[in-house]
Amino acid sequence: MTKEMKFESPSFAQRIKSMLGVDFYRLFHTPLFYIFLAIAAIIPVMVSGMTTMTDPNGQTIELYTNAWQIISAEDSLYVIRGIADYANMNMVFIFGGIMVSIFIGHDYKSGYVKQLFTTHAKKQDYMISKSLTCAFAMACMCIMYLLGGIAGGLFAGYDFSVNVGSLVIAILGKIIMSLGWASLFTFLNIIFRRYFGISVASSFFFGTGILIIGVAAIIESLNLPTYVLNLFLYGSSVNACLTSNVGTLIVCTLVSASWALIYNLVGTHILNKSDVY
Amino acid sequence: MNAIEIRNLSKSFRGMYAVDHLNMTVPQGAIYGFIGENGSGKSTTEKLICGHLVPNGGEIKLFGRDYRDAGVRVRVGALIENAGCFPGSSVYQNLMMQCINLGIENVDEEIQRVLRIVRMEDNANLKFKSCSLGMKQRIGIAIALLGDPALLILDEPINGLDTDGMRIMREILVDITKNYGCTVVISSHLLGELEKIATHYGIIRQGKMIMEMSAEEMDSRVQMFVSLRTADMQRAWLLLKKKYNDVRTEDGYIRIYDVDDVEEVVSYLMENGHIVSEIKKNKIGLEEYYIELMSKQGGKR
Repeated sequence: MTKEMKFESPSFAQRIKSMLGVDFYRLFHTPLFYIFLAIAAIIPVMVSGMTTMTDPNGQTIELYTNAWQIISAEDSLYVIRGIADYANMNMVFIFGGIMVSIFIGHDYKSGYVKQLFTTHAKKQDYMISKSLTCAFAMACMCIMYLLGGIAGGLFAGYDFSVNVGSLVIAILGKIIMSLGWASLFTFLNIIFRRYFGISVASSFFFGTGILIIGVAAIIESLNLPTYVLNLFLYGSSVNACLTSNVGTLIVCTLVSASWALIYNLVGTHILNKSDVY
Repeated sequence: MNAIEIRNLSKSFRGMYAVDHLNMTVPQGAIYGFIGENGSGKSTTEKLICGHLVPNGGEIKLFGRDYRDAGVRVRVGALIENAGCFPGSSVYQNLMMQCINLGIENVDEEIQRVLRIVRMEDNANLKFKSCSLGMKQRIGIAIALLGDPALLILDEPINGLDTDGMRIMREILVDITKNYGCTVVISSHLLGELEKIATHYGIIRQGKMIMEMSAEEMDSRVQMFVSLRTADMQRAWLLLKKKYNDVRTEDGYIRIYDVDDVEEVVSYLMENGHIVSEIKKNKIGLEEYYIELMSKQGGKR
């Protein structure tokens, strides 16, 4: 005699909760996460350490005039003129991209993704969960970068005076941008899931924001308004600077959420139409 | 209700059909032996059922529901190609992840339960990468068993296992179908092993299902034969050929097919001056049946 089977469809919230549970469990149990947190903390210390070194002529490298410039530029500098314009919390999005590639790559390499897709019929669960988990990881990296920046500033003896409101908005803006970036990196890793090297390279490439930097140079040379660049992830991340206001935070939130939505929708569509390998 | 009902399922890779308008019916509670040559489409079919591959056409129903239904898929366990575990994590951690994935509440109890079923309760803290092949296969089964699955899809789960490992695996599969009401689809090249547990068979060739039957039907279809040895095999064979239609020599024995009266054969040989040193009544096994079927289909093994 056969047993009577009951099948209850889990709600969207139940599905996401279970998928997030797995991803967070993995995140907290993998050395990868802690290694990248350490990297995020060490980089600003190293950069500010460089500024205390002297060249053979006895000259000190002057990258920053204020400790908080380690975290964010004074203004929205879309075009990079010097390393100081670039070497700030935005670098988290480069390391974050590599971390996301490794994190998702392990899913495929180990075959665990097959377990997930066997029991989770809805592929959107995977996209959403990975985007949120990786956004959390990158937000943690931002905080570690902040702590490293403070330590580096103290070490280099920088001035700490700042408009606290703008600083908080700049940091919050970058943390909020983590969601958009994490969704982009998840999307890239879905596209290049069979090619780990390309996944890492593409995440690194987009994480540097080199495309927006290039476009910014063209826009600037044509004397066109640069605020349109805020529509992009890198643009909005740069826009969160030490002269930010509440408007900046709203733009960051809208841009990050919009790109996260776009990448999640397109990524889910691709997953639905493609085979899992 | 059938556990699996597949109609006209197709899947092609670069224009070549791996699964070609396949029909398949797996009754609930069955251990379904899924048999076919390498590249016949077994694994592709299993991956389609589990949603790993996107079909080009056709319909898959699990327990009467579309296979994309979240309610039914959460009750499917699979072991396809490998256990899908993180090598650096322990057995317990890998099981824990699947428990969280399935939303299981009593995690410790559930992990202990499945580890007991696969006889690995003392190995929970081992790193997955330190486990032997047999242990990895059993961990894969344990993961598939988490959360009271209604359907298990197992792709070559007994390959690479030693004799004892195969016996344990057989016992596990029989146990879960009898005690947990689970339906099992199992593909294997080891037909002798499959024959010991399967209640139903499906034979696939070049992406098409060429035969489906229950173990009882299989028994009724297979030929009976008498195999024997005498001092003079050549003369005995010539003598038997005069009386019986299908007489062959195989593996050092004379086989007389479609005969089950041993006494009649012995009497006939004795009357003609032959002494029978060994004789037994038998029927051809799944493996021989499969080879014969494939040769009729024009395939090679």
